[in-house]
Amino acid sequence: MWLPFLGLLLGIAFGLLTNIQIPTVYENYLSIAVLAALDTLFGGIRAQLQQVYDDKVFMSGFFFNIMLAAGLAFLGVHLGVDLYLAAIFAFGVRLFQNIAIIRRILLTKWDEKRHKKKIYP
Amino acid sequence: MSNKKNSKGNFLSRKQFELLIVCITTGFIIGYSYNQAKDNKMSSPLNSQLFAQEDSYREELIEQQERNKELAEESNRLQEKIREYEKKFASNENEYEQLVEEAEDLRLLLGNLTGEGKGIRVTLQDGEYDPTSVNPNDYIVHESHVFKVLNELKISGAQAITINGQRLMANSFIQCNGPVITVDGKQHPAPFVIEAVGDSATLSASLNLKGGVINQLLNENIVVTVEENQKLIMSKVKVES
Repeated sequence: MWLPFLGLLLGIAFGLLTNIQIPTVYENYLSIAVLAALDTLFGGIRAQLQQVYDDKVFMSGFFFNIMLAAGLAFLGVHLGVDLYLAAIFAFGVRLFQNIAIIRRILLTKWDEKRHKKKIYP
Repeated sequence: MSNKKNSKGNFLSRKQFELLIVCITTGFIIGYSYNQAKDNKMSSPLNSQLFAQEDSYREELIEQQERNKELAEESNRLQEKIREYEKKFASNENEYEQLVEEAEDLRLLLGNLTGEGKGIRVTLQDGEYDPTSVNPNDYIVHESHVFKVLNELKISGAQAITINGQRLMANSFIQCNGPVITVDGKQHPAPFVIEAVGDSATLSASLNLKGGVINQLLNENIVVTVEENQKLIMSKVKVES
């Protein structure tokens, strides 16, 4: 359980230490990449909690979503249409849904635990 | 199912490894974005400062350019003025030259200056005594003949003229006085030697025109000789007070 958090912290530290400047044009890509990564991560947690987790789906989803979002942003930049908004919208909605599901599951589990404690003190 | 076996056997299962990679990637992206945002925040005041500096420089540049423009216009104006002055000066110089030449000519004509240079000498002599002619006036030189020659010479640009060595002035007068003529009160007998300083070729050509002065004189039985001289010197007139 501690490993993903360690990885997350490692990644954050790594990202903070990196000092590469990217052109302003590509800041859209970054925001979309953040959203895609977060979405996939929470999706993975939800799947784990619902016990439908499949690492193939998880991995392919992670990279494919990021690439799709980046591709949409790329297309948007070149067409002059803010297509990356679509990706942000989709990811944002899914992110909230995933978090809501996780919260509900956790609440249910917590309730069950309390029930058990009450039943078997 | 093999996963479960793996997870039990190994310290790092495939699932955990993948999760680790995903977490690291996500963390990296988040950290990087945070860094980027921080950089932007940090750089924006710097940017505004730079912009302000650039603005001030630009304004300064514009000011300088305007000043340059003004100065260039002023310089153009001044140069125009200088050119006008130069033109005026040049024309004045030309005028001065002309005036000086004219004054020189006039002085020569007046006899205030010593005439010197190429010239022409015209000698008018009475004709041979003609026994058939009753009137001696037919073959002697009258002052009208002298006048003709003098006028022709003056018209042709003679600068200084003498008659028998006496310089003619602008107010000289010539009178006929029997067989002699009087120039400014001085009597001169024939032959009359009229000398004129000037372009000798022009002078002689104008005298020798067909039907001109010399033809007329010859018709009136006067012996005329014209010779071009390389150098004539005519002393200036001493003005009697």
